[in-house]
Amino acid sequence: MPARNLWQMVLGNAVRSPRHFVFSAIGVVIGIGAFVFFLAGVLKVQGVLYSIFPLEEVEVIAPHTSIAGKNLSQKLTQETVDLIKTRPEVREALPRMTLQFPAVGFGKFEGQDIRFEVGGFTDGIPHSVVADDPKIADRFLDGDAEGKIGPACEPERGKDACPDRAWQYCDKVDRMCHMRVPVIVSPTVLELYNTQVAESHGLPHIGAMEQFIAERGRERMHFTIGLGDTMVAGSNVAVSAKHREVGAILIGISRKAKRVGLTVPLGYVERWNREFAGEDKAKQFSSIIVTLRDKDRLATFTTWLQEEPKLKLEDSLGEQFGTVVFVITIVLLAISFVIVGISAINIAHNFFMQVTERRREIGVLRAVGASQRDVLMIVLGEAAVIGLVSGVLGSAAAFLGSLLVDWASAALVPAFPFKPRSWFDFEWWIFALAVGFSVLFCVVGGWLPARKAAQMEPAAALAQT
Amino acid sequence: MTREPVIQLEQVRKSYGEGAGTTQVLRGVSLEVPRGELIALVGQSGSGKSTLLNIVGGLDKADGGNVRVLGHDYRSTSEPELARLRNKKIGFVFQAFNLLDHLTCLGNVTLPASFAAGARDVVRRGQAALGRVGLGDFAHRKPSELSGGQKQRVAIARALFNEPELLLCDEPTGNLDSATGHEVIEFFRELNEKDGVTLMIVTHERRMSTIARRVITMRDGQIVEGDQAGDEDTGGPA
Repeated sequence: MPARNLWQMVLGNAVRSPRHFVFSAIGVVIGIGAFVFFLAGVLKVQGVLYSIFPLEEVEVIAPHTSIAGKNLSQKLTQETVDLIKTRPEVREALPRMTLQFPAVGFGKFEGQDIRFEVGGFTDGIPHSVVADDPKIADRFLDGDAEGKIGPACEPERGKDACPDRAWQYCDKVDRMCHMRVPVIVSPTVLELYNTQVAESHGLPHIGAMEQFIAERGRERMHFTIGLGDTMVAGSNVAVSAKHREVGAILIGISRKAKRVGLTVPLGYVERWNREFAGEDKAKQFSSIIVTLRDKDRLATFTTWLQEEPKLKLEDSLGEQFGTVVFVITIVLLAISFVIVGISAINIAHNFFMQVTERRREIGVLRAVGASQRDVLMIVLGEAAVIGLVSGVLGSAAAFLGSLLVDWASAALVPAFPFKPRSWFDFEWWIFALAVGFSVLFCVVGGWLPARKAAQMEPAAALAQT
Repeated sequence: MTREPVIQLEQVRKSYGEGAGTTQVLRGVSLEVPRGELIALVGQSGSGKSTLLNIVGGLDKADGGNVRVLGHDYRSTSEPELARLRNKKIGFVFQAFNLLDHLTCLGNVTLPASFAAGARDVVRRGQAALGRVGLGDFAHRKPSELSGGQKQRVAIARALFNEPELLLCDEPTGNLDSATGHEVIEFFRELNEKDGVTLMIVTHERRMSTIARRVITMRDGQIVEGDQAGDEDTGGPA
């Protein structure tokens, strides 16, 4: 039977029996709708989760040990990094160093004087950590280490002291122009700013950082770091006696940045720790970010880590959330499949009834030249059309449902960190998968009735009264 | 003039049911029908006429014996080949018309084309077939809008759509009034005489005997009167 004729006959049959069509399709529409709705929902939740917790990386720390108030924890040094790099399951190991003395950030932002504690809240990371992010990589450089110092300047002239107003500042100590210290922050910081700080201080919301910088200008991203200074009363007096300022500039957002705090090139933190806290602190890393070759090899790595260098992984909330989301995803998808599976049984039942009701018709088709295969294809084609239409309708229903949920979320749910504008991530492949599953389930449901129809003896079928 | 037999049956047997409930419907039927023949198959209800017709048309399978139709030995003919044979060379007309109610008259008539690869001029040929049975203006009507006689004529047009060599009719006038039945009988006679189509008609209609070249009577699954295979040629149009 030519495909075109088959298609015409299948469509004609589908249209002429709307009751049968609706009864067969309704369960599939619900099941596929649930499938698309759940899948798009969990995909979004996963996306948000991964933006908060980079699950592909683990953070190695030294277990905290102290006796009589003295910190006896094992030190993370370059040797530790090199040792970790020898493990076959490790692709990359990059150190992270925390600023080990008090420091304060301050500057003007949108006409307001802002001050915030930086000491303990600032990490240094190697450039290679952000090398895969072109928006940041070009600017996340250690200008002092690269020798980009000069010309001489007069700090009294303020912003006009150096030729490159956007990227340089005039150091008050050596009276030379230095590149501003590039700073990145995590999406968490931006989210906290938008939901907590901006609201309460009447500051503007920041959507895309690049757009915000383009609109306001680079100079609005300037601030100063007061090394050795602090907002905490009664802090280390010895350190606070030593004090100097460096110019900084916020260059962008990165998931690689410290979750709450600032992140700058590692060289700055090493030098500042050496200058303000001593040589030991300049060689001591706060953690080591390890990227595994395969997530499944985490258990092997963790075991080695605990047994050999006696280190441990930072508790990863992300991993725990990830597991929860994974389980929820499986449960929701299983529910969807159960619904669609029941629908397939319903389709089988409906088609058995249909085939029985249409015995004479099938007999006529056989009498005028339909082969068993033709009859099989006609019935399966009808099932496939029901699947196709149900898949499209189910997907559309899920999409409409998502609009409703997003509207309710926007109108009724108060703002919170990482609250998404939409709770759904409708990737094209979800729709393709939904329609594919829908057709598959319907065809499976229609298979036995179709076989029954095809195997009917034409004479017996025609004898139906 | 010797004509190639269109139907050759040898000791065809058929039964329904199993064990003690077995009913033997055909008990070794042998028959040979030359091309261009018009045979009336008569007998009481349950004598096996319709079963024999269905077996000849490939709508049912014989339990034993040989069936050879239009050169095809059914024992070695695959199911798709049999379907093609029904599609191209055999036409069926049933007592109950067996039109599909959701299709128009033209749709019913051209239904065989749905299963034929490369069918051409389908609509024109369908219209012509309808015109041939006097229903040229009824192409777009549904069967529910027609009288019994008109329905049967649409069914005949469908059977003739592919210009078959063999037309098998099961009580074609059984549901028609006398006048309409007469028209149908006349149409069959004309079809046989002018076009040389071989017809095998299961009937209770006495008038059919008047146009039939051979009348075969069946009783209890056997041919009891008329002809068995190998009987002499009864003549007919070439």
